[in-house]
Amino acid sequence: MSTTQRLSWRVAALASATALTAAGCGSGGGSEDSPDDPITIGVSLPLTGDFSEPGKGVERGYKAWAKIVNDKGGLLGRKVELKILDDQSNADRVVSDYEQLIGRDQVDLVLGPFSTRLVVPAARVAEEYGLLFVEPAGAAPEVFDQGFKNLFYAAPAVANDHYNHLADYILALPEAERPKSVAYAAMDDPFAQGTAYGLKDKLEKGGIKTVVDEVYPPNTTDFGSIAAQIASSKADMVVGGSQYQDGVNLIVALQQLNYQPKMAAFSTAPTEPEFAKAIGDKTEGILAPTGYTQHADYPSNKEFVEKYTEQFGKAPEEDEANAYTTGQVVAAAVEAAKCASQDEECQQKLVKWLRGNEVETVVGPLKWDDKGRPQSAHMIQQWVDGEIQIVLPEEQKEADLVHPKPKW
Amino acid sequence: MPSASLVFQSIVLGVLLGGLYALLAAGLTLYFGVMRVVMIAHSAFLILAAYLAWYAHRETGVDPLLTLLVTVPLFFVAGVAMQRLLLTRLRPATLTMMSVLLTFSVALVIEGLLGYAFSGTQRRIRLGYSSASLEFFGARVAVVKLIAFGLAAAALLGLYLLMRHSRFGQALRATIQHREAAALVGIDTDRIAGYGFGLGLATAAVGGTALSLDTTIYPSLHWHWIGPLMAIIVVGGLGSVPGAAIAAMALGMTQSLLQLELSTTWAQTVFYVALFATLAVRPQGFFGGRLAQRF
Repeated sequence: MSTTQRLSWRVAALASATALTAAGCGSGGGSEDSPDDPITIGVSLPLTGDFSEPGKGVERGYKAWAKIVNDKGGLLGRKVELKILDDQSNADRVVSDYEQLIGRDQVDLVLGPFSTRLVVPAARVAEEYGLLFVEPAGAAPEVFDQGFKNLFYAAPAVANDHYNHLADYILALPEAERPKSVAYAAMDDPFAQGTAYGLKDKLEKGGIKTVVDEVYPPNTTDFGSIAAQIASSKADMVVGGSQYQDGVNLIVALQQLNYQPKMAAFSTAPTEPEFAKAIGDKTEGILAPTGYTQHADYPSNKEFVEKYTEQFGKAPEEDEANAYTTGQVVAAAVEAAKCASQDEECQQKLVKWLRGNEVETVVGPLKWDDKGRPQSAHMIQQWVDGEIQIVLPEEQKEADLVHPKPKW
Repeated sequence: MPSASLVFQSIVLGVLLGGLYALLAAGLTLYFGVMRVVMIAHSAFLILAAYLAWYAHRETGVDPLLTLLVTVPLFFVAGVAMQRLLLTRLRPATLTMMSVLLTFSVALVIEGLLGYAFSGTQRRIRLGYSSASLEFFGARVAVVKLIAFGLAAAALLGLYLLMRHSRFGQALRATIQHREAAALVGIDTDRIAGYGFGLGLATAAVGGTALSLDTTIYPSLHWHWIGPLMAIIVVGGLGSVPGAAIAAMALGMTQSLLQLELSTTWAQTVFYVALFATLAVRPQGFFGGRLAQRF
């Protein structure tokens, strides 16, 4: 170790010790809004436990957002500082974490955690303190039934609207090409089921018959029987309201029975990076809704993908993008309201501004209804020539939708 | 009313599923038969074997079935070691109860290590024949399910022949029937118990590999398996391998057929209904005769 290195180690150690003391003294002293103080933002995330995989993705997204903001000089000229706690995927912990962040740590703003199960209790705390609550991961209908006044979901659409573009496409097809019967299989989970049933409602209204409607518990490992019923119905189209492992298992089980639908759509699974590794070359023509793609040409998305890749060595996926979007939404509100602190007046200004305005994000322009539901739809992707590409809506498409789908 | 072809397809699927269940449950019934050990970690070892097959396939491209050459002896040795080093330390009076706690912790350790080594990401072995199938009187039979069924049949037949026609098998059966008497006629029951445990774990290596051919795996998957497997061995009669095999077939078939008329959720409860009914009506099990007395 050279002398300069040793010296810099000492400086670093000294600096961190000073920082620790300062933090120790600072707490309880209250936060004065001086222009040099950083804006502190509190988050609790499932960094361990059931949701640790997506939880860490969300953490990376928030960190990328903070870095990009700070590199440009911060918000309102102040640096942004994240304070992230680990709730271990536990709904009780998430409540005490936000209590701590808001009460003891006196953070200026909060951002939401991952998964509906944690978003709802966390939102309740934020609501109680009157804080703006923008969240990256509560797509299920029950999030918006709780009467939250400060909640905004930072993604293009709630679960029931994920397949909207596909529904419009199908109903606009000439009579002869339109699927006449559809088989639905959905996991007993508010998010997964919501996606499939959103499409089911629309297609049934358009006169398309439902021939199979199966709901399976999340721990189902054998999909042989469900696949047998779908195959035996000879439905023109199959729709899966799936998460990852069930989607993959169901698709393989259907392929094993040599069922060849004209259209096949599954939520979540086909957009995961592991999907093609699991299924191999049998992915051709499979459709999936997605809230994010690295290829979308919104200006902030190009910057996000480039800088994120620089920081983490690979391109961002949907979880990272959802977190980044959450940051963008909060930042837009802060810039417009020209304030970032816990006091009621400021938080109300932020909420009010978001209620009435549209925000440009990496997933496109977002605006919300009075319950915090985003008012767009998901893009539809399809596996075309061994790659997943956007096929709907028209304005965003990278390839033409292939219909009927090739045999799998 | 489901069509005849769908019913036949469901029966075919039920037989294949039952075969796999039989293989997966065989080890559990051995441990209990030989040593009154309730082995909660059995399904964790299944997932471990599945991961080893997946890993070997990913790294070298070998067919997962070839990993059996390594995992079967490895698991046998691990089983003997686990019995000799851990389970023999439990006091005989509380063995059954304490073995639940001990093997529960072993299951947690395996799950933790799998998560540490391979992360929580869900994996699946990608084989050229993953989605291939054969036509069988109008029904489709998936090649991977057929291979898994073949593995189950071969392993169970091997187990049966070993138990019936080898000196080791005789000694093991004697130990199962009456440990003290077996010791009196000169059988080293401690060593036999160790081998019996190793044998049970070796079936987990075969079962896990069979499982890996056609399922998406992740570290906590074993919790989904232990419940149905426990139900199977109780219904079959604790300690009876043929009993477990018959119960596995019957339950697999029932599950598959019930699904035609009821939902998946209800079809899955067949295990628990059967478990409850067995404990209420015939606690020694339906197919095994007196508790653990027969092989």
